[in-house]
Amino acid sequence: MRPGGRRYRRVLIALAVLLVASVALAVAVGAVWIPPATAARLVAWRVGIGSRPDVPHSTEVILFQLRLPRVLLAAVVGLGLGVSGALFQGLFRNPLADPAIIGVSSGAALGAVAVIVLGGSAAFGGLGVSFAAFVGALLTAFLVYRLARIGPTVHVATLLLAGIAVAAVISSAMSLAMSFAGEDVRNIYFWLLGGLGARGWTSLEIVTPLVAVGVLGAAALVPDLNLVSLGEERAAQLGVDVDRFKTAAVALGSLLAGAAVSVSGVIGFVGLMTPHVLRLVVGSDHRRLLPAVMLAGPAFLILADLAARTALAPQELPIGAVTALLGGPFFLYLLRRERRRANALA
Amino acid sequence: MKHRLALGLALLLLLAGCARSSSAPAATPPSSATGAGSAFPLTITDDDGEAVTIPTEPQRIITYAPSMTEILFALGVGDRIVGVAGAFDDYPAEAQGIEEVGGAGDFGVDPNVEKVVALEPDLLLTIAGGDAWKKQLRDLGVPVVTYNATDFDDLLADIGAIGKVVGAPDGAAQVVEGMQATADDVAATAETEGRVSCFFEVFFGPELTTIGPNTFIFDLLERAGCDPVTASAKSDYPQWSVDELVADSPDVYLATPESAKSVAAIARRPGFADIDAVAEGRVVLIDSDLVTRPGPRVVEGLEQLAAALHGSA
Repeated sequence: MRPGGRRYRRVLIALAVLLVASVALAVAVGAVWIPPATAARLVAWRVGIGSRPDVPHSTEVILFQLRLPRVLLAAVVGLGLGVSGALFQGLFRNPLADPAIIGVSSGAALGAVAVIVLGGSAAFGGLGVSFAAFVGALLTAFLVYRLARIGPTVHVATLLLAGIAVAAVISSAMSLAMSFAGEDVRNIYFWLLGGLGARGWTSLEIVTPLVAVGVLGAAALVPDLNLVSLGEERAAQLGVDVDRFKTAAVALGSLLAGAAVSVSGVIGFVGLMTPHVLRLVVGSDHRRLLPAVMLAGPAFLILADLAARTALAPQELPIGAVTALLGGPFFLYLLRRERRRANALA
Repeated sequence: MKHRLALGLALLLLLAGCARSSSAPAATPPSSATGAGSAFPLTITDDDGEAVTIPTEPQRIITYAPSMTEILFALGVGDRIVGVAGAFDDYPAEAQGIEEVGGAGDFGVDPNVEKVVALEPDLLLTIAGGDAWKKQLRDLGVPVVTYNATDFDDLLADIGAIGKVVGAPDGAAQVVEGMQATADDVAATAETEGRVSCFFEVFFGPELTTIGPNTFIFDLLERAGCDPVTASAKSDYPQWSVDELVADSPDVYLATPESAKSVAAIARRPGFADIDAVAEGRVVLIDSDLVTRPGPRVVEGLEQLAAALHGSA
């Protein structure tokens, strides 16, 4: 399988069009309709091209301070979760692996909840909770990784088991913390179900560099990732330093997921589903998979967030519920289709 | 957990407006001029402790609490309201057609920030709670002013302060005067009729929930001439054991149409038949809007309560 190919190129172009269309749509739709053309002219005017379109001041505020940062944040979080999922699925050679599986998501949530309950939300200029979530994610990943490392070797099966066990301990710790939370339960609820509202540009400024580093690192790992996907022994025979690779993959995957969770709370299914679905479409060569995930992850989360804030407007739905609701049935459909195809071939 | 959350939410909706903080509002107009036009810019410190400057007399107001909607209409500036919270803003009838901005957020109790901004308000009046969205709106340049009446006297002071904020101090003075007169009448009646003991039901099922001594309703009940048997409660909306209620056996039992279907339904509850109020037929359903909304109509609530307590309808 070569990375190129006409069909693959068509898939990439389709995904790119989907991404641009979802940005345009998500910027346009809301309590106030902002035509994409008007939005484009406003953005152009802001960066010094052309004149300001004749719109009320409130339109400008809504576009630049509410919608644009929200849509871009959805894109960056979707990118981080998608690439993180692709990394973990490749590493574990398990299509059902995702950032949650090594406890990263629950670690992040616990970090956030701990700070909320202990009353440190105002630290770091109001970003104490995000910071704690990020630290929680990395600490959990490190702990799970240490538990799974015996001598120089990291056993993938042990990593998986340690992840599940640590996640279980964390979730009970969280239930405990919540019973002491009192009026803060609302804030905690947000971290458990995820959300992208009311975040503004600050979150975006923090999370973007982290996700960029993670994505670049993941891209550098792609050749080894392909080899490790075939089996650790074969990869080692082909000259891959498997232990170093695993360390790097866990670190980058956790960095990506931790950064995403730290600004959006736990949003499930994106890291699991995006790479999985695309693997069914473009195959499991990570050279082909990763670019596709980088386009589809953001588009998926932007559309999920759009659905979350418009489906039952003015009430907003928890985005985690939307991603599962949108993603789940589609995922099942693809699985079923694959099985039919396999049956037909057999 | 789930129950606690659901209960908390229901309380929030039912009792939005009866509150904790007890800071008195402080209005400090920079100039001593009394003319309506010269009172602005006005800087006030609201009940959230925020110093808010209102540059000119507000003409596009969003009310985020039914009590605020009622107060503005009573002050004669209801026509300046461009947005309300939602379906609960049902009084007076003119309020029902106004654009609704509420129902957003995970629990559906926050305003939709985009909608608020799009209405280009020059004032948003609300009650305590919602610190996150309040901060967000302030950051977007919307002046948010919070008044949270903790008892009847505080409500009268708040109405006076709101009158200054919206540039209708004379209307406010009139409203306050009228409310004070009614409250004085009720107090006089309570004096002659003698005090009774009572219980106010907020909620029944899954748990019996009542009011604590620091709530707005508690103050109304005392003014109407009764002493709630829940004076020892530590929190504002405590769960109350039916055993204790039966042991205290209050003279009058008050509930709302939201908490109980009918007086007969209350009498049928296990153990309730032994309560004096139930045995003597002194169970009354009170229109909750009149006692839970700290607005101009609480004096009607006071009169209803007084009638219920003293058995004269």
